[in-house]
Amino acid sequence: MFLHNLNPCIKALTIVLLVIMLALIFDPITPFLFMILTVILTFLGGNINWKKYCLYFVPFLVIAFGMLWTTIAFADAPANPHEVISLVGFDVPKESFVTALALAFRVLSVAALSLLFILTTNVVDFILSLIQHLKVSPKIAYGVLAGYRFLPMMKDELAIIRSAHRVRGFNHAKTLREKWNQYKMFSIPLLASSIRKAERTAIAMESKGFTGGKERTFYRRITITPSDWFFLCMMIMSLLGIAYISWEFGYFKWYNGEL
Amino acid sequence: MKKALLHVQQLRLRFENQLDKDILSNIDFELKKGETVLLLGPSGCGKSTLTFCLNGLYPRELDGTITGDVFINGKQSTDYKPGELSRHVGVVFQDPETQFCMLTVEDEIAFGLENLNVPQQLMEEKIDNALSLVNMSAFKESAINSLSGGQKQKLALACILAMEPDLLILDEPTANLDPVATKELVATIENLKRQQEFSLIVIEHQLDGWMELVDRTLLLNKNGELFFDGSFRNGIKHILPCLREQGIWLPKVTQYVLQQDGLNEDFIPLTIGEFANQSHYWQQPICNTAPQKKRNVEEFLEINDISWVKNNNTIIQNVSANFYKGEFVAIVGANGSGKTSLSRLLAGIQKPTSGTIQLNGKPLDDWKEETLRDEIGYVFQNPEHQFVTNSVYEEVAFSLHLKRMNTREINKQVSSILKVCQLSELENEHPYSLSQGQKRRLSVATMIVDQQHMLILDEPTFGQDTQSTMELMKLLWERHKQGTTIVMITHDMEIVHHYAERVIVINNGEIVADCNPNELWKQPKVTLNAWQLDYPIQVQLQQICKKDTCYVSTQP
Amino acid sequence: MNNWRFKEIVVMSVLSVVFAVVYLAFLPIGKVLVGFFGPIGYDLIFGIWFIVSIIAAYIIRKPGAAFISETIAAMVEVMLGNATGPMLIVSGMIQGLGAETAFAVTRWKNYSSWVLMAAGVGSAVFSFVYGYFISGYAALSTTYVSGMLVTRMISGALIAGVLGKALSDGLAQTGVLSSFALGKEFRKKRTA
Repeated sequence: MFLHNLNPCIKALTIVLLVIMLALIFDPITPFLFMILTVILTFLGGNINWKKYCLYFVPFLVIAFGMLWTTIAFADAPANPHEVISLVGFDVPKESFVTALALAFRVLSVAALSLLFILTTNVVDFILSLIQHLKVSPKIAYGVLAGYRFLPMMKDELAIIRSAHRVRGFNHAKTLREKWNQYKMFSIPLLASSIRKAERTAIAMESKGFTGGKERTFYRRITITPSDWFFLCMMIMSLLGIAYISWEFGYFKWYNGEL
Repeated sequence: MKKALLHVQQLRLRFENQLDKDILSNIDFELKKGETVLLLGPSGCGKSTLTFCLNGLYPRELDGTITGDVFINGKQSTDYKPGELSRHVGVVFQDPETQFCMLTVEDEIAFGLENLNVPQQLMEEKIDNALSLVNMSAFKESAINSLSGGQKQKLALACILAMEPDLLILDEPTANLDPVATKELVATIENLKRQQEFSLIVIEHQLDGWMELVDRTLLLNKNGELFFDGSFRNGIKHILPCLREQGIWLPKVTQYVLQQDGLNEDFIPLTIGEFANQSHYWQQPICNTAPQKKRNVEEFLEINDISWVKNNNTIIQNVSANFYKGEFVAIVGANGSGKTSLSRLLAGIQKPTSGTIQLNGKPLDDWKEETLRDEIGYVFQNPEHQFVTNSVYEEVAFSLHLKRMNTREINKQVSSILKVCQLSELENEHPYSLSQGQKRRLSVATMIVDQQHMLILDEPTFGQDTQSTMELMKLLWERHKQGTTIVMITHDMEIVHHYAERVIVINNGEIVADCNPNELWKQPKVTLNAWQLDYPIQVQLQQICKKDTCYVSTQP
Repeated sequence: MNNWRFKEIVVMSVLSVVFAVVYLAFLPIGKVLVGFFGPIGYDLIFGIWFIVSIIAAYIIRKPGAAFISETIAAMVEVMLGNATGPMLIVSGMIQGLGAETAFAVTRWKNYSSWVLMAAGVGSAVFSFVYGYFISGYAALSTTYVSGMLVTRMISGALIAGVLGKALSDGLAQTGVLSSFALGKEFRKKRTA
């Protein structure tokens, strides 16, 4: 699947560029069309589990919807208060509505782009690519990788701590102060054991000759191929193309003055 | 004569936070090429610190002062560039989980090679090689997360082997492994020693298995001094009281023979094999010391056909058993067989998917959490998880406070429990700053302060030295005599043999045996091994003696 | 970064990972608050999203700790797959920069409660300015926007500054920080 094989750094760069471009556009149609395109591309070019995708995407729908109504409700006084449209029985200034819709679709299109990246990128490849292409210091990059490995361990540990505290009768917090104490006594064992493990990991890595220096060989070379650049160009062209179409139909609007 | 690979001279080290105390004091020793040395000492004697001095981590990373010299291949350790020393000295640490930084097996091995700037085209071969040395070739592309503890430790070993060090240091490599994985790891090392020439330093508590491998023993005492350098047998012959005083483990056979027979200079078997060869020296009859099953009639906890399913995996399957007041029960079985899950179900921490558990005739579901905790205490494997306050005193007083008991009463009760658990002098310390053994006793203390009738413990002796194990078992035995029901999960067959009245064997989530330990030892070896169990030392010796009865006097 | 010990880096990254999870856990809480109060709902608890930079800086006490830890936390949040994407990394960097500025003013020498609170406020201000441009707060009325800013600053000072310090101190008491700047200071105070 070609999305999985792209260079992670170029993929990230592409997405950052697209997000910046989307930030400059302020009409609802362009981001909406681009979002559709991104979702289709994700499923064509990536090996993605439908259920997983929805699970990730739904929270964004909620955010977008929240944004939609709050922007309408707390909007500045519109320039043309007389142009209204009717929404579920309420009259809403058209301008506010369009602005809100533009913001909501922007959130969704950015979310679709991020999911495209997250679901098709291997974390280790990404970090290796950061070291090999963006010259990120191996000291930090491998430190992050070591920390990232802790995630599943911490999940298990949290579950254990929770039941361990229950056995101590530590679940009858009633007042706010007791609740705060409870959270604190929850986080401290977790953090303490994570810190201790982190120290051990650091020692083990240094014992294997890791110095954090830039000179090192790589077992896995992450490559940059013409198809990476092709992907970058195609994505940007399609956004420009979509913007042109909505321009033709008179929907397109730059981001200006809404500050 | 072989050249010295390692030479340590007058090494002395102090930490910044206790500048008045030597962690290592005047250490002098040499290690020749290809030699295998066992380094022993009580917890906190500076064994791991010494490791860091040998692989060049100290003085670079040390907060403290160091004097003296460490020569490796004739060159001072401080003259090596950072990272360079790892070509010569490789260390495998205690906790397999925290030695890794990558997500897959091959990447992890490659990490060390990359650090040494091994050209990419040579790596693949070295990785395959290292994996085949530890019999893990099939796992090359596996995620590290999917490996078992034993496999992880073998991977950690492979990572170091791939770097081809002249000196391999194993820092308590089996402390976090179960007995079966331990045996496998020792066998792997033995095999390696036959195939390749490298020097080896093994730091361990658990000696069984290693004795056949080692040429020499170095003994450290509590003050960080090297007080013995020579063959372990000689050490036992000449300075046995000193070993005992320092809490140094002896191999189980040796321990047992010394206990029964006293010190006989001609007969100090260090392994079962040696015992078998020399069993004609053995004068003592072997009698059973395991407690006989008492007639307990009063039912406490009644488990009726429970199962527990997690993520579509059946962890516990149709288990029924009764627990009686005042019993001492051991739960044994392989890692992952469901021991911990079962114990949590018993304690009401988890609810069974089907089946019922009754406490004093009333279903567990009907008990309120608070009153249930007055009946059953549970000690987790890692005691730190259970600590909820900032001092030892408060920790014990915590549940009494919850009950709104008055201060005088609390004071009295806490003091007496702390005394029982030998923690009185530490009452103002932070629970986290205690030693492993003390932490464990503290978590027991918090669970018995309410006079709970039943105490369930999850591997309470795991990874501890002799002394803390003894202290803990003494404490539990006292409780047991006063009528508390003790249920403990353990891998230690000696404990099962000496303390338990009843042993429950779990295999694949089912109870496959529930009997007196003596009954269990009558099972054939194949059956026990299938359950990942072994005979306790006494029974093993008994079997040897039975085989050649002509040499053994059975008369008292 | 050369004067950093490797174990400081790993510990910092582990802290970032822990708090990345915490950050994610607080998103739904933020959403509920937004449901009740409108956009200002987020600002009530916004301080929680600065906390790792204060904790990391307070424990390790080296230039860059606040900035890098917050950046890593944002990256991990993105990797975990539930965030606003690459832009979140940018906002993480900006928040980290805000806290770092406060520490930079003291030349990374002073780590008193006031400075920690100031760092929280710094993050609040920086993130607000950035949010103003990105999230289109401009579409909201001016009074409302200023209300948001003040709320966020208070939240930054209290949740990130005060809470972050309390957590770190609790951690120092356990002794696991003995080889880090905070643990060393703690020991000195105890023996003194």
